[in-house]
Amino acid sequence: MAILIDEKLCNGCGLCDVNCPGDLIFMDEETRKPKVLYPEECWYCGACRMDCPKDCIKIVFPLTSL
Amino acid sequence: MNLKENNFNENVVNVDVLVIGGGSAGTMAALSARRQGLDVALVDKAGIDRSGCGAAGNDHFLAVLDTGPDWDTPEAFITWYHRLTQGLVDMNIPPKIYLSRIKNLLKYLEDLGVPMREDKENDAYIRTGSFGQPGEYFINFDGRNLKPTISKEAKKIGVKFFRKINIVDLLVNETGVIGAVGFDIRKGDFYVFLAKATIVATGNVTRFYNNQAGMPYNSWHSPYNNGGAQAMAFRAGAEIKNMEFVNYTLTPVNFSASALNAIVGMGGYIVNGLGERFLFKHHEKGEKGPRWIMPWGVYWELKEGRGPCYFDLRHLSEEDLDHLINNLLPVDKNTFLDYCEQKGVDVRNDLMEVQISEGQLPAFLGSVSGINITPECETTIPGLYAGGACTVAVGSLSGSMCVGDTAGEEAAKYVINGGGGRLEVSPDIVEGIKKSIYKYLSKESGFKPCELEEKLRQVMTLYVGIGRSKMGLETALAELDKLAQLLITAKTENLHELMRLFEFRDLLEVSKAVVRGALEREESRFGISHYRGDFPESSKEWHCSLHQKLQDGQVVFKRVEPYNL
Repeated sequence: MAILIDEKLCNGCGLCDVNCPGDLIFMDEETRKPKVLYPEECWYCGACRMDCPKDCIKIVFPLTSL
Repeated sequence: MNLKENNFNENVVNVDVLVIGGGSAGTMAALSARRQGLDVALVDKAGIDRSGCGAAGNDHFLAVLDTGPDWDTPEAFITWYHRLTQGLVDMNIPPKIYLSRIKNLLKYLEDLGVPMREDKENDAYIRTGSFGQPGEYFINFDGRNLKPTISKEAKKIGVKFFRKINIVDLLVNETGVIGAVGFDIRKGDFYVFLAKATIVATGNVTRFYNNQAGMPYNSWHSPYNNGGAQAMAFRAGAEIKNMEFVNYTLTPVNFSASALNAIVGMGGYIVNGLGERFLFKHHEKGEKGPRWIMPWGVYWELKEGRGPCYFDLRHLSEEDLDHLINNLLPVDKNTFLDYCEQKGVDVRNDLMEVQISEGQLPAFLGSVSGINITPECETTIPGLYAGGACTVAVGSLSGSMCVGDTAGEEAAKYVINGGGGRLEVSPDIVEGIKKSIYKYLSKESGFKPCELEEKLRQVMTLYVGIGRSKMGLETALAELDKLAQLLITAKTENLHELMRLFEFRDLLEVSKAVVRGALEREESRFGISHYRGDFPESSKEWHCSLHQKLQDGQVVFKRVEPYNL
């Protein structure tokens, strides 16, 4: 959770990986799509989605933060 | 890649000026040093384009502009800032570091296209005041692209970017600080930076207190700011000061987002469970009082059974609500409206429940804790400068940027005038440091960094949180010493965890400084920042700064009288 990426829309540009200040998003070498490896370490800052050219990232808050 | 073999490349980088921390302050430092024609490296564990507290934006820009009213003058600002900080900031710093630069910084950002004029019709600034300011010092602006904009400028003029490099420690020899060492958090490569001047600018300290949601990375400011600058500078022998004053704010319940300035700046109220405004009990300005009054007031309302407490915006005009909802809240925290939507809160019509945030060390205006610097941004160690929120100077985004700008300029001056130590370090020492970093990847057993960090937060929250006593603080010191022992045998399974381990090490260093300071300071000051139940009043004797430094392996304290105007 935390960062939901729509793989169908994603063009694999990798900007979310570059921009995430927490080292949470990694580009998968095979699929060339981003993977969120450490969702529990998310700041919920939105930096990953701000420059996303395909607007395919959604921020989802866990129940305990609502 | 077999991490256990520790078979990593080694890179040695020689530059004139090394800047550690690629947030807003560090980037400004790199820009100003580079403008002097020097070779500059900017290093950050993230990607730099969106690193630091301003990664995703900011909506308020502290500025004194001399537009006519008495409050909009350097003199009025200094008078207020002195009162706010109770004289615990060197008052020679704001004129040189902040007031002389702020108009130029504003012009620079506007020239780069950062939208500063929210009153589009009149092409004018919208300014609001909060936190006890005598006037409206905060320009409301759209800072969502400020960080990538200045990063691009730094790149353009030739600052060398080192992205995703985690700096572990400063390199020190008998001549002073001569650079730093770290590793690439994706490839593992080892880096040695040698520099005539080194600037630390890694911001504030978060992630060492629990919050109500039990989500340590859901923090008020960036959870990736872990006190690297303060810890590294302290280990190198530099002075840090007033570390006992841990800062709290009010945030939406279970979501530690910046919002308080926007809300009280626009005239929002804070009410208790009975619907009463209660802050006037603690300060004549109520919601317009200093920031620390607000968590202090909420603390007592909750304790005395008048909770929960809320932001109340229902009395604001449609126009003000529009400005708040469109231009401020989602600019200061990009995901603010996602939270409201998912929680089902309608900011216009509902009360919004608040909480006291987790504690952190500074980053806002009025904080008095961090690395002790001169008005030239020098630390007490030759070759080491500091800029931004890790220093005791002028906080908030624009303050930090001005401090970064000064640090870069002064470090460049130092280098141009022939400053800089002997940039040599023996291969044995480098090899030793390298081993001390990578050894954690080879361990088969031991605690993981996240387990140690969880324990650290438990200790800090329980014994060094809101309400402190001698017995509790001594217990904390003993627990932190145990953690230091456990760190020696910790294990990490990948490079991401290795980065977290060194973050933990710095958090532990800072935590120990907080506890030592809190034990020493036998009084209470700044509300819940430092509230000793066994010494509940502020005392005249303790109206001073408390400095700490390492000397021959021992911590030495020094009391420094408050500054007068």
